[in-house]
Amino acid sequence: MVRVKSVLFKSMAYFIAIAGALVILLPFYITLITAFKTPEESAQNFFAFPKSLYLDNFKEVFAKAGYLKYFMNSVIVTVCSLILIYILVTMISYAIARSMKRHVYYKIIFGMIVLGMFVPFQVIMVPLVQFMGGLGLSNKFGLILLHVTYASMQAVFLLVNYIQNVPQDLEEAAYIDGCTTVQAYVKVVVPLLKPMTSTVLVLNALWIWNDFQMPLMILNKLPDTWTLPLFQYNFKSQYSFDYNMAFASYLIAMIPVLIAYITAQKHIVEGLTAGAVKS
Amino acid sequence: MKKSRLFQRNHILFLFTLPIVIMYCVFFIVPLLMGMKNSFTDWSGTSPEYDFIGIQNYIDIFQDERFRNALIFNFKYTILLTVGTVVISLIIALILNQKLKGRTFLRSIYFLPAILSLVTVGLIWNELFYRVTPMIGEATGLKIFESSWLGDPKLAMYAILIVNLWQGCATPIVLLIAGLQSVPQDLYEAAQIDGANAWDRFKSITVPYLIPVLNIVIVTSVKAGLTTFDYIKAMTDGGPMQATESVGILIYNHAMQEGKFGYSVAESMILFVIIALVSVLTMRMTNNKKVGD
Repeated sequence: MVRVKSVLFKSMAYFIAIAGALVILLPFYITLITAFKTPEESAQNFFAFPKSLYLDNFKEVFAKAGYLKYFMNSVIVTVCSLILIYILVTMISYAIARSMKRHVYYKIIFGMIVLGMFVPFQVIMVPLVQFMGGLGLSNKFGLILLHVTYASMQAVFLLVNYIQNVPQDLEEAAYIDGCTTVQAYVKVVVPLLKPMTSTVLVLNALWIWNDFQMPLMILNKLPDTWTLPLFQYNFKSQYSFDYNMAFASYLIAMIPVLIAYITAQKHIVEGLTAGAVKS
Repeated sequence: MKKSRLFQRNHILFLFTLPIVIMYCVFFIVPLLMGMKNSFTDWSGTSPEYDFIGIQNYIDIFQDERFRNALIFNFKYTILLTVGTVVISLIIALILNQKLKGRTFLRSIYFLPAILSLVTVGLIWNELFYRVTPMIGEATGLKIFESSWLGDPKLAMYAILIVNLWQGCATPIVLLIAGLQSVPQDLYEAAQIDGANAWDRFKSITVPYLIPVLNIVIVTSVKAGLTTFDYIKAMTDGGPMQATESVGILIYNHAMQEGKFGYSVAESMILFVIIALVSVLTMRMTNNKKVGD
């Protein structure tokens, strides 16, 4: 009796798990097949696999819409932001973690930066548009600075907690060997932090690459500087009649993140759980 | 010698903090304060002149039916989103925590939506709703599936909600699985020997261990619901007939399209207070449960 029950339970579990997975995969499947179809083919049967490998959608996206430009904008914004986050956020986190007990200044800035996590973006978005415009920073450079600032809130929180658990012996040994503070930091501390810095970078890479609200606020008036999500949003209104082409553009935007996910899955999942489960 | 070295180290550590502290003040604190100031003016966003009008904006907002409707939309949406997220992610996490074949693969699939841009997801589902809903309607003959839900003022919110849940459950599932793995297995065995059934074990062992994670899941869903913007912008842009105009969309429209800059900042300040209050309340509620157990 117990056995029958457990077999029944197991098959129910399989059924729900697989049905759910199919729901998750359906939009991916549609994106993939639609990108390779002609509009006529899609009109005939929306779900069918394409009869031939029709590549004109991709050619059109690259040629007509200047896709490469937006792709490069996204790459530049993401890479520059990550480099700055890597250098600047690690520096401040190290200083806070090592000096918090010594001086109240570090305690105050830590509290202030972490509190920022709780302020929703909409509160700041309208004044920010006005402010960035006034500074002449409504461009890619301004967007990078904003991404670094807003990424620092969660990143400082994660890194400070991590650094506090890294023993100081190695740094002290480096000082005895005659290293300066900067040398000890670069040669000893930074390598020790690799697990947490890679987590921070992976999380922010995903977030910055996919972000829509901030580019919409800062860049919408300058089409040359659009990032991919912003381009896709505007592309919808310009080419709404040709949705096969639109799907081709979604597919190309997905591929880099999919590759990143497959190669860095462990870091992504660890990063999420480190940020949530332990705090 | 040693003392001067320490002195030098403290200086360098101070310098280490400066870049982010300066950026944080310039790009976060200053705009926040500027916003607070502007919420007391009638500035249109473009005209060079404006007047201080005290708390007039705030008084107007409380009598503004459009703002009230947006707020009601947000509350309905947030409750449905939070309940949906908790129920669906908990079921999936409990299943994926069983010893199933291929569960690592299934877990990777369930996390996939989280890596996509909210806009891309919204646009893809847009097309799915337009193409697939009529097909279901034809096959089943049900009136509700006659045309895309996004064009129907009564159903548009549920369409957006489905898309939000499709993507929004990905991270909670991962978190809840991690939470489930932190439950010591011998507790279950002990409970089984004592004759506790599956529901008792879930209620008195699993749930207490999951409370911290559930707490995070609930607080983040509530915040996501109250600030929802991207999906709506990509799918309905507040329509049809302002049926899906959330507070976030309303703030954007007032500031960027309708020349009510000062007014929209006052709206965002009210939203901030609401989010702070609701967050504290939800945290209190979930924490109390933990003590009660």
